[in-house]
Amino acid sequence: MKKIIINRLGLLIFVVFGVTLISFLLSHVIPGDPARMMVGQRANEETLQQVRQQLGLDQPLLIQYETYMKGIISGDLGTSIRTQKPVIDDLEAFFPATMELAIIAFIFALVIGIPLGVLAAVKKNSFWDHASRIFSIGGVSTPVFWSGLVIILIFYGYLNWFPANGRLDMNIHPPTHITGLYILDSLLSGDMVALKSSLHHILLPAIVLSYAQLAVITRQVRASMLEIMEQEYIRTAIANGIHGPFLFFRYALRNALIPTITVVGISFGSLLGGAVVTETIFGWPGMGKYVVDSIAYLDFPAMMGFTLLIAVGYVIINLIVDLTYYVLDPQIKG
Amino acid sequence: METPLQTETSQPKPITSVRPFWYKLKQNQMTWVGLGILGVIVLCSLIAPILTPYNPTQVDISSKFLAPSLHHWFGTDEVGRDILTRILYGARISLGVGITVIIMASVIGILIGTISGYFGGVIDVTIMRIMDMVMAFPTLILAMALAAALGPSLQNAMLAIAIVKIPVYVRLARGESLVLREKLFVKSAQSFGINPWRIIGKHIVPNSVSPVIIQATLDVGDAILMIATLGFLGLGAQPPTPEWGAMISIGWKYLLDYWWYPTFPGLLLFLSAGSLNLIGDGIRDILDPKAGR
Repeated sequence: MKKIIINRLGLLIFVVFGVTLISFLLSHVIPGDPARMMVGQRANEETLQQVRQQLGLDQPLLIQYETYMKGIISGDLGTSIRTQKPVIDDLEAFFPATMELAIIAFIFALVIGIPLGVLAAVKKNSFWDHASRIFSIGGVSTPVFWSGLVIILIFYGYLNWFPANGRLDMNIHPPTHITGLYILDSLLSGDMVALKSSLHHILLPAIVLSYAQLAVITRQVRASMLEIMEQEYIRTAIANGIHGPFLFFRYALRNALIPTITVVGISFGSLLGGAVVTETIFGWPGMGKYVVDSIAYLDFPAMMGFTLLIAVGYVIINLIVDLTYYVLDPQIKG
Repeated sequence: METPLQTETSQPKPITSVRPFWYKLKQNQMTWVGLGILGVIVLCSLIAPILTPYNPTQVDISSKFLAPSLHHWFGTDEVGRDILTRILYGARISLGVGITVIIMASVIGILIGTISGYFGGVIDVTIMRIMDMVMAFPTLILAMALAAALGPSLQNAMLAIAIVKIPVYVRLARGESLVLREKLFVKSAQSFGINPWRIIGKHIVPNSVSPVIIQATLDVGDAILMIATLGFLGLGAQPPTPEWGAMISIGWKYLLDYWWYPTFPGLLLFLSAGSLNLIGDGIRDILDPKAGR
């Protein structure tokens, strides 16, 4: 086990290095002229040269990369062109909102996706199986920005049951800052008004964000349940008179979840991708909305800082997933 | 010299023979639903000039924001263009781009993957580590960053999506070629002293195509959604191109007053991606006996 962890950590360092290399290439090499991008089309040659010097773009690439890496190691992701603040501070400010949305969406996807997958497998080829298949193909085929719009149109536009913008009602103060996650903070500080409002606000975006991942998880659970149900130990269990939910959940699901965990890890990453669009549609003040607002200004430091942060986060999540894998299945040896 | 070798060595068939394929396809109703929907969309987009009297980019301010009616089935947009017309012409872009991107990614992926698997050693390690780096990013976010770095345009968005899709195909093709290079027919080709590139081209690539086809059919729908997402974020096709994502990107600001504007392009996007996923699912069930059931 120790060996595996050390191995994986070594790989982690390598991949993080690769990720910084790619984002360096994306921000310093591929754009025709990063300095021009920063100052805009109308700036004169002199300003351009000045900015180039300021950014060190007149230096050889290797030295530019060294400076870039030094900056990253000391937590410097550059200054946002749009907000004129350090990108790292901006991302820190918007991070909790994105995390809160992603966590709630993730919980939805697991809590609904796993039982639905079990149901589809247990009642194979029944109405439930077909319904779940259509439901999950719908999930991977619906563009997030469109399902968001339709849901806003129905639940805000026509029914006016839910708000369609922000994390809290305008007239409600955010709960005392503890973690930055409003639901958790308001629970911890006993602020029931803020709790109610934040739950009210998060429901629609979380549903929209979770749908695609829910679909993927449902399909995976169904497939691995079908495989497990044919194994001998399940037949033995049935022969011993074990049946019903106890058989499915206690005996089969435990093993069926192992391949699902890989999918779950990947789906958390896709969730962060989907958050970019969902936050824009729902005016959710998170990192995703921040980065989309930056696109309009061609605010490169902000976009690249976000990309780097998400990629590193994604690598760490995958590492955790891999380690869980080893813990759950003692048969797998690294 | 070549010909007898080939006839002898073509035993592992890439795709199970045609008759069971058709038999299974006939049984798979969902695939037919997908083929039907996609067929209608493709046909309508091809004969769009006959179906609609309007021009997809012709501005007519006097008829802006007209609700769906007999004249304008899906209504009109903020400068009076017929939305149905734009959707039909837009289908050519979305479907064409989706298919092109996946062909690009899969062809490049197969080449890199088979080379990596066949030669092994340093080449393999280097290629696979580079692929690991690319795969460390969530696909949509890397595509966004790439498209932004290259500059917002439809071509660059296509390139960005093709690049983020390549590693999956590299992995698949590499896996296949690792198995194939140990097979007797490849070993015997080697012992005849045939050029390794020729072996890759004639024996390894054709035999590793099957899983790649499955992946590719499943990926086209996803590529269409990604192109639309980049268009929606302003990183893909630029107005006035009637690309669905770009249409929704402008239309969603008018959602509550003129619901039809973003709704219909999105519906078509959903139907296209959905039908492609149904087809992909069906083909996977047929070609890969272990999956689905």
